[in-house]
Amino acid sequence: MKHLTDELLNEYLDHEAEDRAGIEEHLSTCADCASRLADLEALFAELDSLPEMPISRPVVIPLAKAYALPRWLTWTAAVQSAIALAAIIIAIPFLADLLPMIDTRSLVDLAVEAQSQWTGFLDSLSQVQMPSIPEIPIAEFSSLMMALAGVSVLWLLGNGLLLKNQMK
Amino acid sequence: MNALTDRDLILRARHGDTESFGELIMRYQTSVFNVCYRMTHERREAEDLTQEVFLRVYSRLEAFDLDREFGPWVRRAAVNLCLNHLEGQKVTAELDDEHDSGETEQPENIYEARERSELIRIAIAALPVQYKAVVELRHYQELSYDEIALELKIPVSDVKSHLFRARKILAEKLK
Repeated sequence: MKHLTDELLNEYLDHEAEDRAGIEEHLSTCADCASRLADLEALFAELDSLPEMPISRPVVIPLAKAYALPRWLTWTAAVQSAIALAAIIIAIPFLADLLPMIDTRSLVDLAVEAQSQWTGFLDSLSQVQMPSIPEIPIAEFSSLMMALAGVSVLWLLGNGLLLKNQMK
Repeated sequence: MNALTDRDLILRARHGDTESFGELIMRYQTSVFNVCYRMTHERREAEDLTQEVFLRVYSRLEAFDLDREFGPWVRRAAVNLCLNHLEGQKVTAELDDEHDSGETEQPENIYEARERSELIRIAIAALPVQYKAVVELRHYQELSYDEIALELKIPVSDVKSHLFRARKILAEKLK
């Protein structure tokens, strides 16, 4: 009886042998080949039983650091900005509908009234006679200057809020 | 982050999200290290090679085929890197007059090794480099003969003979 070669037994265990049925038939009748196969199987089992070793020095890639995003540009900030922008876009049509419903004339009247009160207050201030103290010229605030001052305050507040996280 | 698939993480890493690549490293560094450790049997060297594997993978991330699995790909890259590294060492050693081949660790010389697994590791590490690579790819990465041939760019007949001879040597040493 012709025995199976070691190469064939290797291929059989690797599931690469073509004639598996023929090999199995031979193995069922040949103790010598079955014994050699058992030895090879034991080696396979030993190799496969090798335990995994833990890594003691975790991988750190300097390259990854080089490509890191700026600290302030985070996914959270990007998502928040996108949501805010989407909210503004969605709100625009509603505001466009609501704005005509507001009685803008009364707002203008209020502004005129406020302005007249303010100028009246300034007039009254200018009429105050303080002989013992040298007269201090009072600056005239135009509405444009007031608007600029308001925008500046808002800008400063806005920057303060934006920089709040970075200041930590 | 843990719920993300490898594919998601790769796509994010490609867009410069280093945290995603960090997550991929976390997932696969142990298995890659074990490939390198089986191939070299030197912890420090294996850790350096593991680092190198991920550096290379990072630079080739654009070329990765998203239809394939990342884990096997990165481990095969590890086998190839170790193979090149060890072959380079072999050339250096051959050129080095002071090199004494008798110093190579042989299981016969380390009977003191208490654990069987350590003996197996030493036996694998003592194999010729090409044999080591086919054993790694067949037994630990479970590649077929054809896949190993493709990976190592050698004929299938060489894969068979390398495996056969490697197992013969291992069986002798592990008796």
